[in-house]
Amino acid sequence: MAQVKRFNAYHRVLHVAMAVSFIGLVASGMPIKYAQAPWAAWLTKLLGGYEGAALVHRICAVITFGYFAAHIAYVVYDVAVVRKFKFNPIGPESMVPWIKDAEDIYHNFKWFFGMGPRPLFDRWAYWEKFDYWAVFWGVGMIGVSGLFLWFPEFFGQFLPGWTFNVATVIHSDEALLAAGFIFTIHYFNTHLRPEKFPMDPVIFTGTLTLHELQHERPLEYQRLVEEKTLDQAMVEPQKNWITDLGILFGFAVVLIGFLLLLLIVLGQFIY
Amino acid sequence: MIRSLFILLFASTVVASAAYATGDCYSCHGRKGMPGYIDRNAFQGSVHGSIDCTKCHIAISSYPHGKAGKVNCGICHFLGRDGAPSAQAQEYKLSVHNRIVPVGQNAVPVCQTCHGSHYIYPSTDRRSETRRQNIPVLCSKCHPREFKEYGKSIHGIEALERNNAMAPTCFDCHQEHLIPPAGDAQWMLSLVRQCGNCHAEQIKTYRKTYHGKVTQLGYATMAKCSDCHGSHSIARVTDKASLLSEQNILATCRKCHPKATIGFTRFYAHAEETNRAKYPVMFYTFLFMTVLLIGTFTFFFVHTFLWAYRSLKERMNKKGGE
Repeated sequence: MAQVKRFNAYHRVLHVAMAVSFIGLVASGMPIKYAQAPWAAWLTKLLGGYEGAALVHRICAVITFGYFAAHIAYVVYDVAVVRKFKFNPIGPESMVPWIKDAEDIYHNFKWFFGMGPRPLFDRWAYWEKFDYWAVFWGVGMIGVSGLFLWFPEFFGQFLPGWTFNVATVIHSDEALLAAGFIFTIHYFNTHLRPEKFPMDPVIFTGTLTLHELQHERPLEYQRLVEEKTLDQAMVEPQKNWITDLGILFGFAVVLIGFLLLLLIVLGQFIY
Repeated sequence: MIRSLFILLFASTVVASAAYATGDCYSCHGRKGMPGYIDRNAFQGSVHGSIDCTKCHIAISSYPHGKAGKVNCGICHFLGRDGAPSAQAQEYKLSVHNRIVPVGQNAVPVCQTCHGSHYIYPSTDRRSETRRQNIPVLCSKCHPREFKEYGKSIHGIEALERNNAMAPTCFDCHQEHLIPPAGDAQWMLSLVRQCGNCHAEQIKTYRKTYHGKVTQLGYATMAKCSDCHGSHSIARVTDKASLLSEQNILATCRKCHPKATIGFTRFYAHAEETNRAKYPVMFYTFLFMTVLLIGTFTFFFVHTFLWAYRSLKERMNKKGGE
């Protein structure tokens, strides 16, 4: 049965690059942050000593800057070339948070307490927009502070050395925020919530069933029907091997994420 | 020649049998001016005072005797024979002092070089060569350059001139008998902890930096205390002689960061983000990050738990209805 296209190959490849590099960054960075924890020396050794860990960290940092730039280029291309600037930045296709998102948060909390129906979502729910912008914030904060720490001699030419102290605080705390957020809240919101448990493969397959669209994104469904563009959005279901590989990859990343989360919790609260 | 003939004659008249006691030795060696003269009182007050001479001078069993030969302390101390403490000898075996023997240097320090031979007292005893206050002088016999540097250092001034018992001497870093070779990675890493035993605040803040974290992970190539502060000639950071003084800091940073600039040297190697007065930018950055983290996690954890609760409840109700 035909399915509805949600993510194209470009989106999916960038998400995989993001997941792999993020795991690499956390695995090679947290042993430094929690150097006092007994697991840190062990994990560092596994990564080839601190030089090996630094190399992994920097390779993954370059991948991060790469996917970030690739995404910006995509947005520019999509808005300028594909849509020819016929794009409403506060419309339902946009990632920009707007009034409806604030209303959705309010109504969703009411639904949590059993005080009203679940709000109807369009293409992007508010928590998805939050995830999206959190990457901009995170890559910006961690990326810039990370560059300072990577090239201190260069930045030392025009910035005082205590900038590196400030950069260390930002890099370290923002990393904890990012890892803590992805390995708990993002995992739950997208994969582990009861409706999707144990995994939502849409980011790997790129397609939703019509049923999923109708129930989870009713406003988008309605819009596609009204605009008569639903047929255009319908595609053949993803090839089996891509689906299987995607699910396998997804489980592996979720599992590694949980292991890293455990190490972070140990480092933060026990040792 | 005449004297040794005399000794021989004397010895043969006194001794009748090969079995003899320590007291017999004093009949010759107890006399001032004799070769191998022993101050009986001083010896008997030493840690070995109750031990027979021949227990150490194993080559000697009868009068007259030939060359006594070098005493090997290890016969008791390496094996721990008759309750002799053995840890020190075993550590010495591993030390750089022992390891230079195969290199073929002849001035190898052995036990006696530091402890002396007959008049060995506990290191707490005023007469001991190895009492704490005497250690720098003792080591200076072979290491005069280091002693000179140490004497001018803040540690040396405190220990030697001000008799500050807390100030470190050679052993506090070089570990008495163990004396690891300079450059031994494990030793250099342990020195960081050793400095921290007294400089608790400094090691705490050092451990917050990349330098301190990498050394904590067990890699000695990253900057350790002595790389920035110096070792034997260590001075207060406010002292012109310090490696970290205005005149010297750039050269010190450049040892590892060859392109360092003066701006670069304004890095705080011992910053404390909770100290608002001293590090205001760090403090407010830390405060902002902390609020951001606690705020984000609190909102989303509450959101997630409520969501999970509601979803599960609705699904159970649905199932119940079916």
